[in-house]
Amino acid sequence: MNIRRHPIGAVLSALVIAFLWLPLVVVFIGSFDTNSLLTSWTGATGHWYSQAVNDPNVRAGFETTLVIAVLSSLLSLAIALTGALWWRRAPGRARLIYDGLVYSRIVVPEVVFASALFFLFLKLHFTLGLPAIVIGHAVLNSAYATLILQARLIGLDPALEEAAADLGATPWRAFRRVTLIALMPAIIAAGLLAFTFSLDDVVTSYFLQGTSQSPLPIVLLGMIRFRITPEINAVGVFVMLLTVALLSLAVTVLSTAGRLGRSSRRSRLVSLYER
Amino acid sequence: MTLACFVIPLGLIFVYSFGSENLINFNVEFGWTTANYRAFGSSLYLDTLLRSVVLSVGTTLACAVLGLTLAYFISRQGPRTQRLLLAAVIIPFWTSFIVRTYSWVDVLQNDGPLDNLAHTLGILGPSSHINLLYTPWSIGIGIVYSYLPLMILPIYVSLERIDPAIYNAGADLGATPWRQFRRIVLPLARPGLIAGSIIVGVPAMGEYVIPEILGGGKTLMVGNIIANQFQETGNYPFGAALSVTLMALLLIVLFVLRRYQVTGEPAT
Amino acid sequence: MSSTTTAITLDAVSKSFGELVAVRELDLDVRRGEFFSIIGPSGCGKTTTLRMVAGFEDPTSGTILVGGRDVTRIRPYHRSVNTVFQSYALFPHLDVWENVAFGLREARRPRAEIATRVQEAIKLVQLEGREHSRPSQLSGGQQQRVALARAIVNRPDVLLLDEPLGALDLKLRAELQTQLKDLHRAVGITFCYVTHDQGEAFSMSDRVAVMNAGVLEQVGAPEEVYRRPQTGFVADFVGASNRLRGRILAADGEGRYRASIDGVGERRVSGAGGLAQGAAVVVVVRPEDLELSVTPAEPGGIAATVVDVAFLGAQRTVRLESPAVGALVASTSGGARSVERGSAVGVTFRDEHSWAVPVAV
Repeated sequence: MNIRRHPIGAVLSALVIAFLWLPLVVVFIGSFDTNSLLTSWTGATGHWYSQAVNDPNVRAGFETTLVIAVLSSLLSLAIALTGALWWRRAPGRARLIYDGLVYSRIVVPEVVFASALFFLFLKLHFTLGLPAIVIGHAVLNSAYATLILQARLIGLDPALEEAAADLGATPWRAFRRVTLIALMPAIIAAGLLAFTFSLDDVVTSYFLQGTSQSPLPIVLLGMIRFRITPEINAVGVFVMLLTVALLSLAVTVLSTAGRLGRSSRRSRLVSLYER
Repeated sequence: MTLACFVIPLGLIFVYSFGSENLINFNVEFGWTTANYRAFGSSLYLDTLLRSVVLSVGTTLACAVLGLTLAYFISRQGPRTQRLLLAAVIIPFWTSFIVRTYSWVDVLQNDGPLDNLAHTLGILGPSSHINLLYTPWSIGIGIVYSYLPLMILPIYVSLERIDPAIYNAGADLGATPWRQFRRIVLPLARPGLIAGSIIVGVPAMGEYVIPEILGGGKTLMVGNIIANQFQETGNYPFGAALSVTLMALLLIVLFVLRRYQVTGEPAT
Repeated sequence: MSSTTTAITLDAVSKSFGELVAVRELDLDVRRGEFFSIIGPSGCGKTTTLRMVAGFEDPTSGTILVGGRDVTRIRPYHRSVNTVFQSYALFPHLDVWENVAFGLREARRPRAEIATRVQEAIKLVQLEGREHSRPSQLSGGQQQRVALARAIVNRPDVLLLDEPLGALDLKLRAELQTQLKDLHRAVGITFCYVTHDQGEAFSMSDRVAVMNAGVLEQVGAPEEVYRRPQTGFVADFVGASNRLRGRILAADGEGRYRASIDGVGERRVSGAGGLAQGAAVVVVVRPEDLELSVTPAEPGGIAATVVDVAFLGAQRTVRLESPAVGALVASTSGGARSVERGSAVGVTFRDEHSWAVPVAV
């Protein structure tokens, strides 16, 4: 077995992985700690969870974050989908520019991007707040969504759309009946990814929130700055579970995409759609 | 095509946002000109910039070393083990960024787990503490922690393509494990290393949250200063100037790294 | 040609991709109801031509008529043409039934009609019982038949087939060739078939067109093209041949000449029309038309030594080397005198089995 051949590697790797998981474990444990000072363990309690759930700040922040995430992920998908479809047929030069746009959104430090957007909105006299944040997230996260969609598009047999056209489908119908269906898993995964990133975003939200209710991550940031209690841990655990669940869903959807279901129930559903 | 009309606004937003920066910059520069940049030269800001660069480089290196080790190890395992390990690497990455960063406050603080461990192991006497929190070290650890998966993945992708038979061939031709590593693995991992360095090093320079949480307001990076200019001080032009400088710096780094990446060797 | 007898007409059709000229001034007619094939080496433009008829490529110049109608600028979804793709292009998320019904749904046919016609088409390709399978659950041959059914069910004016048998093994290919021919007879639709496999095209088609580098070299019934190639390229492409260099001495009647063949002497040969006196020609003789005898060569024959004999089941391929004309290939059906390596033989051929083509430009 390979571990025997690379004992050093195995040990180092184990350490690194432990390193990666350590903080999560600490947060998890800390969320049950009765002692709000976090310096020593004095017994388990669920107190912080109930406090978190009942904290008005936390609830408002959570609601805001959800709304932002839903709206921005939909917008991200729209941008990514239209962009990726265009990119497929685009000439070389234009493609390069588009790829550059995608790449730069991922690589550029968020501070730079957020401050620039802040400027832009200021100049345009566009009020900051929820809509601004939604736009900011959408522009940023659509880059990741684009990558996922592009990857799936490349794998599609171009003959499929030709076949649809050959059989009488106009471009729109060919898209609806063939391409969209083939893309659906990628669309779902991309949407979930954009959603998760939006949930988690700090910098852009911070710059663009104006005077409106802050999204959850910023509420958390405030809490961290001013008073450190295990309530933060509790909220943290909630968010952790949520994001992990969502992304696991995305991965599952993507990986079962290749293996289309065999149940006749599914084909009948598709037939209904076809009608 | 109607599709294009979606792409263009996006592009416009992005391009314009940078344009607007420069606009503001230039507008105000007519009055302030170098005043902005001179203020920039004052030691406080230079210090911060220097610290940001050092942290970025340092953490990128640390990520590279750790990432390479782990990526190499994973790539040598069987497919199922590989998937398992990759999941172990990626899942923590999926949790809330803030929470992850914040958890290090818990870990690193005096009288926290790490401190206690040091005491138990006898590394530190009872009266001294690790004093790690709220220093550049804690920021560094936070950055490495957050960005490590971003380094591991590209390297893994590069290494995963290697036909395992190559290692056998190397051994067959008399290469010791270390030499194998140097002469086979490193060159082949290079594209992944460079991609990883870009994805880690560039955003790391502009980090805001990590220094904010783990620096505790005492230690700052460029990102924090920029943010402060906008949010608290209201000194937009200066913030813009900083932003532009940061971008310029990063573009240079990016440019250099890309030339390594494309040609596989330093371009002459 | 009146529009009732021509299914497809290509009039001076050219297609260029930037610098590359894929099809050059092509004039072609496909008769209604015939099984027509276009053959040629890779890159000769046959697939491009097919795609232009289907509507996936626009010709750079020229006109295309289908069923008498000018369709040059008409989009594929408005043409009464259906295609069977090389990769089958079956919709993976639909089962066989829905795949076949696709075109009919697009045409908004009433449900009852769709049901009847789909059932009919599936029966025609012998896939009853597999209506609810997914493409991924079918074998290559079955997928191909679904693609066929999907195209035919729409009763197009023309059915285009783009190397549909390419991905199948030899035995399956032979089977499907027979099935395709039967299908063609059953439905009576004009078939336009593209392949690089000359044998395949010959066995199924009423007429064959040979293309080379974007140009049409010859059109005709398979036997005609095989026996009387108009150019050296066609001669080579449609079958192995022996090539003897020579010169026309004089015309000797309709399509017959007297020629001087290097290494052989004066012979009467058949040939393409209009060969001028003194013209340099290549005289083509098919391997199966060479006669070998153990007795030494007579005048007009060729002395040669057997270099190699390959046993191919139904035939033997004999490679010979002659000091006069170089390498020769003969094909004899098993049971003929056994000829061994190293033996000296005399090689002859009859006048009517020789065919002169102008030397390729």
